[in-house]
Amino acid sequence: MTATQGPARPKVWPRFTSPLRSTAVTARLGSLLGICIVICFATGMLSHYQYSPWSWLPEPASPVWGYRLSQGLHVITGIAAIPLTLVKLWSVYPNLYRWPPLKSLKHAAERLSIAVLVSAVLVQLATGFMNVMGWYPWPWGFVSVHRFLAYVIIGSILLHIGIKLPDIKYGLQAKVADADVLTETPWSDNPDAHTNAGDVPPPATPALTRRGLLVGTGVGVGLVVATTVGQTLTPLEPIGLLAVREPEKGPQGVPVNKTAASAGITEADVGGGWTLTVDGPSPFTLTLDEVEAMSEHVEHWPINCVEGWSVGAQWQGLRLLDLVTRAGGTSDSRVRVLSVQQSGYNESDLVGPQVSVALLATHINTERLNLDHGYPLRLISPNRAGVLNTKWLNRVEVT
Amino acid sequence: MMRLRLPLAVVGIAILLFGVLRLITEVPTEALVGLGVWLIAALVIHDGIASPLIIAVGVVLARWVPPRARRYVQFALIVSALIAVIAIPLAYREDTQPPAESMLLQNYLGNLTLLIGIVAAFSIAAYAIRVAEDSRAASGSHGAATQGG
Repeated sequence: MTATQGPARPKVWPRFTSPLRSTAVTARLGSLLGICIVICFATGMLSHYQYSPWSWLPEPASPVWGYRLSQGLHVITGIAAIPLTLVKLWSVYPNLYRWPPLKSLKHAAERLSIAVLVSAVLVQLATGFMNVMGWYPWPWGFVSVHRFLAYVIIGSILLHIGIKLPDIKYGLQAKVADADVLTETPWSDNPDAHTNAGDVPPPATPALTRRGLLVGTGVGVGLVVATTVGQTLTPLEPIGLLAVREPEKGPQGVPVNKTAASAGITEADVGGGWTLTVDGPSPFTLTLDEVEAMSEHVEHWPINCVEGWSVGAQWQGLRLLDLVTRAGGTSDSRVRVLSVQQSGYNESDLVGPQVSVALLATHINTERLNLDHGYPLRLISPNRAGVLNTKWLNRVEVT
Repeated sequence: MMRLRLPLAVVGIAILLFGVLRLITEVPTEALVGLGVWLIAALVIHDGIASPLIIAVGVVLARWVPPRARRYVQFALIVSALIAVIAIPLAYREDTQPPAESMLLQNYLGNLTLLIGIVAAFSIAAYAIRVAEDSRAASGSHGAATQGG
């Protein structure tokens, strides 16, 4: 193969000489990042499904740890992808300075697709992490834009893999130490690249080696994962130096995502006159004493937040199905639970398997629910996003 | 494997355009403009500011730190920077939420310092071992040369 010299570039133009950069390094970083992003995408879609399932495919009630695992994976792969993305982009930074900047329409389209991919990934990872920290300094609704950007990213990645497949193949097959150095000059324009010149000595790496770079990246990402995952993988909570949440510190052993104060709930709202109305073919109303007298079922289920924390807890309450049957419904009924709360996530629907197993809880970890946890009554169902376990209930509708 | 290229690209473009379409049709214009600003800002900040700074650090290290020590400095800096990227935003957000949420209650700068300290200690120890091994090898080969002579 004859290498072709590219057109002369400007006299002042960045030159990248670090022997650490190589397609062999990039392909390895990219493969790992790709796996993280695919897991993050798939678990993200599972989570969106929780909010609006199709009526013919209701969310299952088992395994009870399903959403704990999937959403834990979503947040941890997203967090791991932040340092990984930065190293991966560092490894291909010289490509930004290829000369000429645009060779053809096809080349322009390729560069545009890379710009879309990079900017969407950076914004997605940054805003996802900020969301977990309760930080929303942007003018759009987080949930829908997070989902639409996810489509943009996964599409751009498939396109990117399609375009780069020959480089990926070369990079993964080449030995890390031997492969061509990645500079601002593409290998096809570089007569010294061993891809063109045949066997040439591997580039000298007098200081850090490429393997050292990959190990350093692995250690950095590994430490980030190990010190953040404790918010959902409870045994690692003691080393959760960078964990956003510490479930253990939550009131009654469970963090609160929406406090009574921020939901506009006061003691008076759920005070003396509180009743639970169950609406259906044969409606009825229960007083607080009646509800507490019926609260005799105990379950051990984790509560799992969309923001990536989860913790096991003991719940005691009434079986939802008992109320549904008494109101004239069955386990096939669609059930809506409604809160005293005026706005926000103040109602949620149950259909299918969760109707049969869910509890309307009065107690958490053997204590009467406090106001922040939804006193006097809240929904808890296994394999269900925390925010859909509506608190401060005063009404159940059976249809 | 190369036969996969076209299908990957076609499916990728279809999903990409689906995402763009959903954004354009379902997100209000004002919010969309804000998103556009963020997307462009992300490129400018990453490609125009952060990356040149990182490269400048590399140039300074190459200029002033001899290769044998540089290896360990680079390793420690890479690990520390990757941890700091996560820890610094956490530190900025520390104590901003109601305590009942049991979130952002830690001293993240302190924890970051601890983690960097551990990484630095390991790197220094590895460097010290390397220096000791090199000097032993040097005296060993010197001894061998003497014996041979």
